[in-house]
Amino acid sequence: MEHQDDEDLKPTPGERVKQVLKEKDVRQVLFFFVLFTALFSILGLWAYPRWMPNIMSKEMRGDESIMIWFTVISAPIAGIVLAFAMRSFIDIQRGDTPPEDGPAISGHTPTVVIWTAVSFLFCTVAIVWGMTEMNTWSQDAIAKESNAMVVNVTGAQWSWSFNYPAQGITTHELNLPVKQPITFNVISDDVNHSFWPVELGVKVDANRLATTVVHVTPDKIGAFEVKCAELCGIYHAYMETNGQVESRADFDNWVSTVKAQGGAQ
Amino acid sequence: MASPATSQSKTAVGAVISVVVGILVVAAVGTTLHAHSNLDAPAGYAKVNGTIVAPDGKTYPHAFINDNVFADAADSKIHGSSGGHAGWPSYGPYINLVLPAHTYVTMTMHVYDGGEKMNTPYFASVVGTVGGTINIDGKNVSSLPNDGVQHTFTLHGLPTSSQDPLFVNVPLPKTPEGQQDEPGSPLPKGYTVTFSFITGGKGNYVWNCEYPCGDSTYQNFGAVMGAPGYMNGKVTVI
Repeated sequence: MEHQDDEDLKPTPGERVKQVLKEKDVRQVLFFFVLFTALFSILGLWAYPRWMPNIMSKEMRGDESIMIWFTVISAPIAGIVLAFAMRSFIDIQRGDTPPEDGPAISGHTPTVVIWTAVSFLFCTVAIVWGMTEMNTWSQDAIAKESNAMVVNVTGAQWSWSFNYPAQGITTHELNLPVKQPITFNVISDDVNHSFWPVELGVKVDANRLATTVVHVTPDKIGAFEVKCAELCGIYHAYMETNGQVESRADFDNWVSTVKAQGGAQ
Repeated sequence: MASPATSQSKTAVGAVISVVVGILVVAAVGTTLHAHSNLDAPAGYAKVNGTIVAPDGKTYPHAFINDNVFADAADSKIHGSSGGHAGWPSYGPYINLVLPAHTYVTMTMHVYDGGEKMNTPYFASVVGTVGGTINIDGKNVSSLPNDGVQHTFTLHGLPTSSQDPLFVNVPLPKTPEGQQDEPGSPLPKGYTVTFSFITGGKGNYVWNCEYPCGDSTYQNFGAVMGAPGYMNGKVTVI
């Protein structure tokens, strides 16, 4: 009979949750979890689109989308880690004798299952999303390859040069016609560099003796920057140059001007 | 046995001392490297002497500046009597240049070094000078053979909206075998290279050599090519 009384007094799951939520520690952790999750979500959804450079290609648009949504997906994870960190910081123990550790909860099966499943889900989304995006670019590049304009990109300490074989010119600035599929053949003449036309959403290594091929179709007229993204020596910071996406007519005029100057600019 | 308060004080003092020592070590290393970098070597100032009408029809102040390229850094006079590193070539007496803004700058360089083959043929072409040419001992050229270059004067800057773009590439002709600058010997005849370019507004730029004149590392871009103050420097437009 006494045993039956114990069964009757056992709290229901709802009562247990209410009981846990009354704990000061738990409420603080929940507060910080919501706060940091919201902050990182705002960072991804509001700040990134404003901080990102001018988007001048579909590839760059894909990059931005990945940046935003991966940040949002990661926000709860960062939120829970920072929430416990903040709670620990607030309750920091001073002195030579820290308190004993609390009881381990590693054997709590539902927690392990939920944590593993959520982590698996996040990783799967990230992998599938990234592979789908890459595959889309590859298929797009294959479809447009026969119509692509080739630009041979050479990195050398500490300048870029761009050879347009069909146009017969070589320049230190990168001009491209809008809505024209481009194939970049990227190589280095000395150490490793990284070819990064920022607003086009392309960044690939420029290696010695190995050509890296990458495709892009600029879809917006405007200026962009070409940087080196691989630390390559004392003037690495100066290994930058101008780029310009322009109309076909403006591009043809520019090619004519460079040719009139002997084919090099 | 020390009290908890004493122990905490010792810990705090130890932490502060560790941080201060760390800062001092980093500052000492940085200061030493900077002192040996020649980045603050005396600059050569272009001097304005009259005006000139450029091919664009505009009249500019005309400024002049001279510099040299030696096979032996000792001849450059900016690395001490030893030249800093035996066998390294160097520009000199100036590695840092100061140029007036919106000016037609004529630069004359006396060059005394040999050469082999460029890594990047593009830098054997003349880019960014008035008329797209340079004058070598009285003869105008717009490019040099890929194996006819001793060094390049390649001036460039950051593509920012805060300063005008300025890109100049001048390949300097290699002197023939047996007619090059040798340590301890009088300077040979060499070549005199003259070229002009027009500066924009005020800004900070750099120049470097694009001829692979370093040691065998990094496709001949090691050693002197990676050291500040020999084959590179600053250009300030004021």
